[in-house]
Amino acid sequence: MFKLIRATFLGLIAMAYASSAYADITFVSWGGAYTASQQKAYIDTWSKGSGVTVENYNGGLGEIKAQVEAGNVTWDVVDVLPDQAITGCDEGLFAKVDQSEFINDLVVPPVSDCVVPQIFWAYTAFYDKAAFPGKKPKRMKDFFDVKKFPGKRGIHTWANALIEMALVADGVKASKVYDVMSTPEGIDRAFAKLDTIKDHVVFWSAGSKPLELVSSGEVVMALAYNGRIGAAILSEGKDFEYIWDGTVLEQEYLVAIKGGNEAEALEFMAHASSAESNAEQAKYIPYGPMRKSSIGIIKKGEPWFITDSGNIDIMPHMPTDPKVLKRAIIADPFWWADNGAEVHERFGAWKGN
Amino acid sequence: MNQTASEPILTTDGIPLKVSLQKSERKNKIRAFLLVAPLLVFILVTFLIPIADMLVRSIDDRQINTVFPKTFEVYKKWDQQGLPSEELYETMFFEVKNSEGYDIGKASTRMNYSKSGWKSLLKKSKRKFKKIEEGPYKEQMIAAEKRWGDIDYWKALGVMVDPTTMGYYLNAVDLKFDSNKEIIRQKENRRIYNHTWIKTFKISFLVMFFCLILGYPISYLLATLPLKYSNLLMICVLLPFWTSLLVRTVAWMVMLQQKGVLNNLLVMSHVIADENRFQLMYNQTAVVIVMTQILLPFMVLPLYSVMKTIPPTYMRAALNLGASPLHAFWKVYMPNSVPGISAGCMLVFIIAIGYYITPELVGGKDGQMVGNWIAYHLKTTLNWGLCASLGAILLAVMTVLYWAYNKIVGIENIKLG
Repeated sequence: MFKLIRATFLGLIAMAYASSAYADITFVSWGGAYTASQQKAYIDTWSKGSGVTVENYNGGLGEIKAQVEAGNVTWDVVDVLPDQAITGCDEGLFAKVDQSEFINDLVVPPVSDCVVPQIFWAYTAFYDKAAFPGKKPKRMKDFFDVKKFPGKRGIHTWANALIEMALVADGVKASKVYDVMSTPEGIDRAFAKLDTIKDHVVFWSAGSKPLELVSSGEVVMALAYNGRIGAAILSEGKDFEYIWDGTVLEQEYLVAIKGGNEAEALEFMAHASSAESNAEQAKYIPYGPMRKSSIGIIKKGEPWFITDSGNIDIMPHMPTDPKVLKRAIIADPFWWADNGAEVHERFGAWKGN
Repeated sequence: MNQTASEPILTTDGIPLKVSLQKSERKNKIRAFLLVAPLLVFILVTFLIPIADMLVRSIDDRQINTVFPKTFEVYKKWDQQGLPSEELYETMFFEVKNSEGYDIGKASTRMNYSKSGWKSLLKKSKRKFKKIEEGPYKEQMIAAEKRWGDIDYWKALGVMVDPTTMGYYLNAVDLKFDSNKEIIRQKENRRIYNHTWIKTFKISFLVMFFCLILGYPISYLLATLPLKYSNLLMICVLLPFWTSLLVRTVAWMVMLQQKGVLNNLLVMSHVIADENRFQLMYNQTAVVIVMTQILLPFMVLPLYSVMKTIPPTYMRAALNLGASPLHAFWKVYMPNSVPGISAGCMLVFIIAIGYYITPELVGGKDGQMVGNWIAYHLKTTLNWGLCASLGAILLAVMTVLYWAYNKIVGIENIKLG
């Protein structure tokens, strides 16, 4: 009898091992349409995808640091911003990854040894065409010009991208923005420019908010994540228009948390960062792939974006469209890792006083 | 007779009564202790230890000293006039070059709080130092990264010499150490915390005040109406209490925004002109309005339970004896409801002072409270020392308020029911 029980037990264990085509990892991302696009592009297309648990978070390294310090890691793969990718890698929160497969195929070099590429997203200004029946705003300096284009502006509650945009609006060339920002006078100049719209701004912190603000007429123009603007135009038929001038591109990476299920996490990340997967994601959300070859795949495959009423060309909505890139700024995560806290405090003082 | 008086009273089995009593008392005590032990352990683990940890973190500055022990030894000899000596450069060089693992990353995060730029300086230096084989190091380090020649970076190290620091507390009130550990004021454009503290207390006080003004009549009605009406009213109080905080906050956004329900109604009824719509959302006003609504049940419930115990006969007696209704209320009913007022005010104020999500959503430019800054540093800058000191100050303020309250009103006067 006892032997029988033991045999059954061992058999069950063996079965559990045999069915390990089932990965056991937790993937943490930002939620909404973005996570949905990742689900379709990476998780559903992965052979072990059925075992991936998806969770949402709000960014930052707080939770990750707490998990690693407590030795109780429940997240395996996390979608992070570049400055967090740097800090987390330096502080030993993330596992190192093999980057040889994609290292020569990226638009910009990876920010640390712990990341695999995801997408470029952008802070982009936009407006409802109905709000400007006559002359339409075209450049970043129009966003900061409340005389020429009266009305409220929606901006986010933190300093990233705003400093860069203020300088572009003040006449700094996109390629020189970080040189100017690296001097104290440059920051003063950016804040002086922000002062000119201070009495005309409405702040937002949740990504869906700027779209509501513009739709409801609460503001006439707003900054928003370009993917959200694209989704509103493509899927909801909104009559929005981008102001691509002075748009600020941010990088987005995947990392594996140290002490989690690293082996399978890395396997998943290899799949998610392949050129095909990167391109696949753009079928569902207009964020730009970081891999050069993915952009090639998309261009060849146009119309690429999937909607209920057939496919649509996606390149006009991409922040990595070469025409956009010429006038855009790629945010420098190293500058922000150094100066982020100081600038953000100054921004807080600017907002509150 | 004298002898019997000094002799102890014995129980039937010859043990002194005192001892026997003590024994059975002790047994009871142990039993009582065992009963509360699980709760005690729970509180210890989930409450007291984290608070202790927070207090330690708020002064702990070891993470950097353990990475650069020799550098700090040499550093103490530097007079801070002109660039440091070759010796200091050399020690720093080797401690950066030979550092292993992630300690240097953590240290650079800490050093960056003291001066923005340390983070990339160390990161780049670590890579470039590999190529430098032999001394003298000073010139080579400056050639590799010119910031090594900037005295401000060296001076910024001065505040980190000791393994413990009050620096985080200073930062939390817009002060800081200069390189000689003298306390100076924070740069003007970075002074945000004092302003935030004042705002936090102001908002919490206003919320408490409005909750009391609004909650008192409701509670009075609840306590005096016949049961079938008061039950209905009670449900009206509790229903929002059971509704998700987020739902209620977002509902207020719909109500109060410039093109929202309230403004639209006012414009439609020609009370205000279209271009003069009230700015009721994304500012301090919004925070006060929304938090008052959210925290109202915390005022109503204790008030109600205390008022319920005030016999209606008191008021009738006072009126019967010739007091005017107002006088009777002021002299008889109000004093009896003081325990409820205190409990409600304490509850609302304590909850309000640490609020985070509502100010985040509706606060806009000037409605951010201390909780929002704690969240920012917790998540984005990883400056947990500053978070801990902000938290510890909140705790201290609460303790002082509680103490003051106890002195003035007496804690035994608090009543939740």
